[in-house]
Amino acid sequence: MTTAPTYSKISYRTVMYVLLILMSIILLFPLFFALSLALQGDTAAPTLIPRDLNNLDWGVFRAVFEQRPEVSRWILNSFVVATSVTVGVLVTSSLMAFALAYLDFPGKAVLLFVALGTLMVPFEATLIPNYLFISSLQWKDTYQGLIVPFLASAFGVFLLRQYFMTLPKDLYEAALVDGCTKLRYLWSILVPLSRPALATLAVYTFLGTWNQFYWPLLITNSTEWRTTQVGITIFRNFEYAVFNTQMAATIIVMLPTLILLVLGQRQLVSGLTSGALKG
Amino acid sequence: MSATPIPSSLNAAAASTDSVKVNQFSRKRLRELGMALLFSAPAMIIFALFTYVPFFRAIWLSLHVTNPAGEPARFNGVDYYIRLLGLDGRTEWLEYIGLSFQFALMVVPLGILFSLALAMLATTKVKLIEVFRTIFTSSIAISLASAGVIWALIFSPATGATTWLVDLLNLNSISLLNDERTALPAVAVMSVWAGLGFNFIITLAGVQAIPQDLYESAAIDGANRWQTFRRITIPLLSPTLLFLTIVNTIGSLQAFTQFHVLIPQNSPNVFVYETFLSFWYDNRYGFASAASIVLFVILFVLTVVQYRVVNRGVHYQ
Repeated sequence: MTTAPTYSKISYRTVMYVLLILMSIILLFPLFFALSLALQGDTAAPTLIPRDLNNLDWGVFRAVFEQRPEVSRWILNSFVVATSVTVGVLVTSSLMAFALAYLDFPGKAVLLFVALGTLMVPFEATLIPNYLFISSLQWKDTYQGLIVPFLASAFGVFLLRQYFMTLPKDLYEAALVDGCTKLRYLWSILVPLSRPALATLAVYTFLGTWNQFYWPLLITNSTEWRTTQVGITIFRNFEYAVFNTQMAATIIVMLPTLILLVLGQRQLVSGLTSGALKG
Repeated sequence: MSATPIPSSLNAAAASTDSVKVNQFSRKRLRELGMALLFSAPAMIIFALFTYVPFFRAIWLSLHVTNPAGEPARFNGVDYYIRLLGLDGRTEWLEYIGLSFQFALMVVPLGILFSLALAMLATTKVKLIEVFRTIFTSSIAISLASAGVIWALIFSPATGATTWLVDLLNLNSISLLNDERTALPAVAVMSVWAGLGFNFIITLAGVQAIPQDLYESAAIDGANRWQTFRRITIPLLSPTLLFLTIVNTIGSLQAFTQFHVLIPQNSPNVFVYETFLSFWYDNRYGFASAASIVLFVILFVLTVVQYRVVNRGVHYQ
């Protein structure tokens, strides 16, 4: 308090930078660690920091695909599943959110309640019957087994309904007077206007689906049908001594979501905070 | 951690739909009902097939001894529940539930304290702050499976990254994960790291929602940083922190992936993982269904508390 303001301001800033950098190093340590192990070559005794920094083995990322061709199949599976679920959730949520936001009908509150009620049922409480059901349909080791159960989301319905309700209702009535059908209104006016909310839902859903573990673990059995998340953990089991390819595969699998985070951070943040804070 | 954001303004929204009294079943409204059902059908069919029907089927299965195909073979009443709650004198399942709560007790306070510290750091007005914020958020993009695989090597004796800790604690095991005393804390540390991104985002949003003029008037009154933090930030952030406490507790009790990847098969594990073992390896579908219903009840209570907390937070604003 008694020191000159300029001095205290500079030192405060320095302290903050030191703390920020220190925290960043701690938080990024596991990622550095993974990268360090990946680049050290095929050694049974890796070190925290590569012994020879001039001789890093960047070829390991290509070697993963050559030594373990199933990795590309896992990535394809995860992409197909995450993309289909994302598109599906966007479609089913928009349709239902439209009905809840624009149509006037008896029992609207009940419909909303039934949708939101699914949030009260944890995944684990439905897991066993769902597993038995999917098995009885012969959907194990198929895309539909991985996709169909996740094609609707109460969070998505609610998020889009809230967003649709902020858009002027006059627009809707004017469009109807002009002879626009409801489906057409949803598709050519509401969807373009709601791009921010749809982007939020898309980023959130893609990330969540890409990172799924428990369900794909149960529903896939053969190596070619595994998704990336399950794949990298079985990798670990039969190749526990080969650290470099294992870590390289893990990094490759993390890349899509890390890129998505950097590009879609705003959407993701608004999605996560929308329900949590101000509703 | 994959916590689903819970909508909070449900009550207000539902109440505002029908403020004007109209004929409940006019022809126009009935026609729109048909249309609404059509529009809602895709989502509702999925909700019915994969949430409601299986939920009731789980309750039904939990009252039966099942055959290896998962069909009810013999009515069993509430025997499985008695067994799970240790009312027949065998308490190992109570211990698994206890382990789950111990785990939550480690993860939740640590995770919230860390994210609070990160959020305070991230509100400083310095250059490049956006970069630091992205770094602090990064763990949200990293799946529990990837995190688990990396941390398994951090804890592995082969890489030696945590050997110093094993020596320091004088453990007789080869790694933290192989010792009964340190296995759960080790998984907790990994889970705190994995959950930080989410907790940080929510805390930061909470901090940023605090009106700036409160800080300005506190500065005029000569309050120092600690007083401002203690008297303004913490009280105004308390709804956010309560929300995080409950969401994180729910998430910790549901934790599965990290236990699957990190904990050796034969050591006692948390409730959700033991449930998995009982149906996956032993085909005890009825018993595991009962366990999943017990988990449902625990989480349901927590969720109800959460709705209360969040709604109170909204009323406050």
